[in-house]
Amino acid sequence: MAEAAELTRVIKGCKSGNADSFAQMVDIYAPRCYGYFYRLTGDRDLSEELLSELFVKLVEKIGSYKGGAFESWLFRIAANIFHDHLRARQRRKKLLDAKRTELEAVPTGSPRSDGQDEKLDRLQIQLNRLDDDTRELIMLRFYSELSFKEIAALRSEPLGTALSKLHRGLKKLRELMEG
Amino acid sequence: MKNRDEDNLKVLFERFVPLAEAERAASEVHAGEEILRDHPAPQPRPELIVGIKLQINDRLAEHHRTAHPLYRVAAAAAAVIVVALIGYLTRAPQSQPNLSRAALIPTAIWESDDIASDDYDIAYFASEIEQIEAQVRALEAGDGESIGASALNDVEMELMQINTEFWKE
Repeated sequence: MAEAAELTRVIKGCKSGNADSFAQMVDIYAPRCYGYFYRLTGDRDLSEELLSELFVKLVEKIGSYKGGAFESWLFRIAANIFHDHLRARQRRKKLLDAKRTELEAVPTGSPRSDGQDEKLDRLQIQLNRLDDDTRELIMLRFYSELSFKEIAALRSEPLGTALSKLHRGLKKLRELMEG
Repeated sequence: MKNRDEDNLKVLFERFVPLAEAERAASEVHAGEEILRDHPAPQPRPELIVGIKLQINDRLAEHHRTAHPLYRVAAAAAAVIVVALIGYLTRAPQSQPNLSRAALIPTAIWESDDIASDDYDIAYFASEIEQIEAQVRALEAGDGESIGASALNDVEMELMQINTEFWKE
């Protein structure tokens, strides 16, 4: 995580429309946000699109950031972008119902050859076996680095519910990976 | 990745479940997150990062342009023009009945079968034609002796003159 003082300076620069500050913001958060999108979609191209959309939206919305946990604010936007994508995908699915089976059968990740990439694919496959909501909670927890209280607030659900979902989800993921 | 409340996860679970169960749950969460740490997601391509920064620069430049006072004045002027155009276009169909009243040919003349009474020139030429027809009929009846041999030529010349003058109008 970026140092608080440094992050405050960068945010201030972004609010005043400074391009260098936005570039710094991209350097700080792009890897985590890309990981978040990639683990949710399993698709490199789509993750790139969503990441671009996130930072373009950041330019538009930075004026509305009024302080507080910046990561919480940023990942709320990221989560909204992902949900918008899901809704759009749902609409497309309805329109292309006849081709649904074919579309779902298309592998979502880019083909890779080295051992590390095969390992990544294995995790992605098992993550895809979790339900959408649990997978999103796990990824939000892992990539946003937010506290559980912040995550529960962001998702507008009770702390106990978020804790319970995360526990069950990670336990299942471990079983899937070891199985 | 690190978690801000990693150390108090057990405490959080203790709010909802007994101590032993909370310890086990916290341990299982840590184990699950360890799997995620062991399988890092791919990093974004450097080209993507450069592309995003360029996109941001474009967007910022656009914001600066739209924030300029002259741009706002131009936008306001454009809006006024658009509103005026919309107003004009939406009123246009109502003015169409006036156009029909301003037609070049009066409806009464257009619908009349009595052409001679509608137009002075046409009436004049019609009377000329009638007069020539009478002369032709007189020649055919043999009443043209008094007129002489040049009478037919005169009639032809008169017809040609009428024809020429008619198309001059």
